[in-house]
Amino acid sequence: MEKEITMDAPRVTLLQIAGTFFMIGATGFGGGMAIVALIERRCVLEKKWLGHDEFMHGLAFGQILGPFSLNTATFVGYYLRGSLGGILAAASFIAPSFLLITGLSYLYFRFNEVPELKSALLGSNPVVIALIVVAGIGMARRKAAGLETAAVAAAAFAASALFGVSALTVLVLAGCWGIWKGWIAGRAR
Amino acid sequence: MAGILKLCWVFLKIGVIFFGGGYVLIPLLHRIMVDQMHWLSMKEFLDGVALSQLTPGPLAMLATFAGYKGAGFFGALAATVCIFLPCTALMLFISSRYERFRRVDAVNHFLDGILPAVVGLVFAAAFNLGRTSLAGPRDFILLGASFLVLQFTAIAPMAVILGAAVVGLLMHFS
Repeated sequence: MEKEITMDAPRVTLLQIAGTFFMIGATGFGGGMAIVALIERRCVLEKKWLGHDEFMHGLAFGQILGPFSLNTATFVGYYLRGSLGGILAAASFIAPSFLLITGLSYLYFRFNEVPELKSALLGSNPVVIALIVVAGIGMARRKAAGLETAAVAAAAFAASALFGVSALTVLVLAGCWGIWKGWIAGRAR
Repeated sequence: MAGILKLCWVFLKIGVIFFGGGYVLIPLLHRIMVDQMHWLSMKEFLDGVALSQLTPGPLAMLATFAGYKGAGFFGALAATVCIFLPCTALMLFISSRYERFRRVDAVNHFLDGILPAVVGLVFAAAFNLGRTSLAGPRDFILLGASFLVLQFTAIAPMAVILGAAVVGLLMHFS
C-alpha cells in the first residue's frame, strides 16, 4: 500500500496566515479545543490549506508541550510557509489575547477590579461546545467511521473524559495500536 | 533591566516544564509566582487566572499578567514570549521533521492509529466543558440552536460566538 505524499501545499502568503490567525485569536473565545475547531473550519474546510490527516496529526503533536491551541497554529503556519510561517501564525494568534490581557492588567493594577464580562462568557459557552461537537462529528465521519476505529475513538473519549487519563498517554497508546495493526497487516501479506 | 531578565529566565523554565497544558499549569504557576517569587498575592493570582480566561488565548496568558505587574508593558511582553518560546520551538522542530518521518512505515502506522483517538479527545473536550458549564435548560437550548446553526448553515462561527456573548451580556447570565 503505497501512500502518495504530496509536498506541494498551496502557496499561501504570510499576510494571509497573519490575518487568519489574528482573526481566530481575536474572536475564538472559549480557548483550547474551540480554537482548534475554528482553525479546522477556516484552514482545512474553507480554505483547504492542508488535509484532514495533517491537521489532526498537528493537533496530536500539540499535546506534547504547552497549550495545544497555540501549537496547532504553529504547526499549520509551518506546514504552509516553514519556520517563518509557524512563528507568524503563533504570534498573530497570541497578539489579540496579549493586548487584551495587557489592557486588563493595567486596569486591574490601577483599580483593583476584574471587569464584569463573566455573563458574556457564560452566554458563549454553549456555542463553544456546539462548535467543538460539530468539528468532532466531521472528524469522526472521516476517521472513525469503521467499527474498529470507532471503538478506539470511544475508548479515547472514555479514558480522557471519564477517567482523567492525559491526552498524551491516550495518543501514545493509540499510536502503539496503529503500529500493531500495521505489523499484523504486514505479516498477513 | 535585571528584573526583566529574571522574569524571562523564570518563564522560560516554566515553558520548558509545561507538559500536558491547561490546568496542570495552575498549581505550578501558583507555587512559583505566589510562594517562591512573591510576584503576586493569592488574590492577584486568582484574579489573574480569571482575567486570562476572559481571552481566547491559553491559560498561560497568566504569564502576561504577572509580567505586567513585575515590569509593565515590556515585562508583559517578555514574559509572554518566554513562556511560549519552548513549545513553539518544539512544534517548529516536529513540524520540520513531519513530512520526512511520515515516509517511514512504522511512523505512518503510529500516526494512523492516532487519528481515531484524536476524534475521541475532541469529544472529551466538549464533554468536559459541558460538564462544568451547562447549567439549566437555557444553556441546553442555546447549545442545540447553535449546533443546528453551525452544522447546517455557513454562518461564521465567530459571529455565532460573539452573538451568544452579546445575548449573555444583555440577559445578565450568571
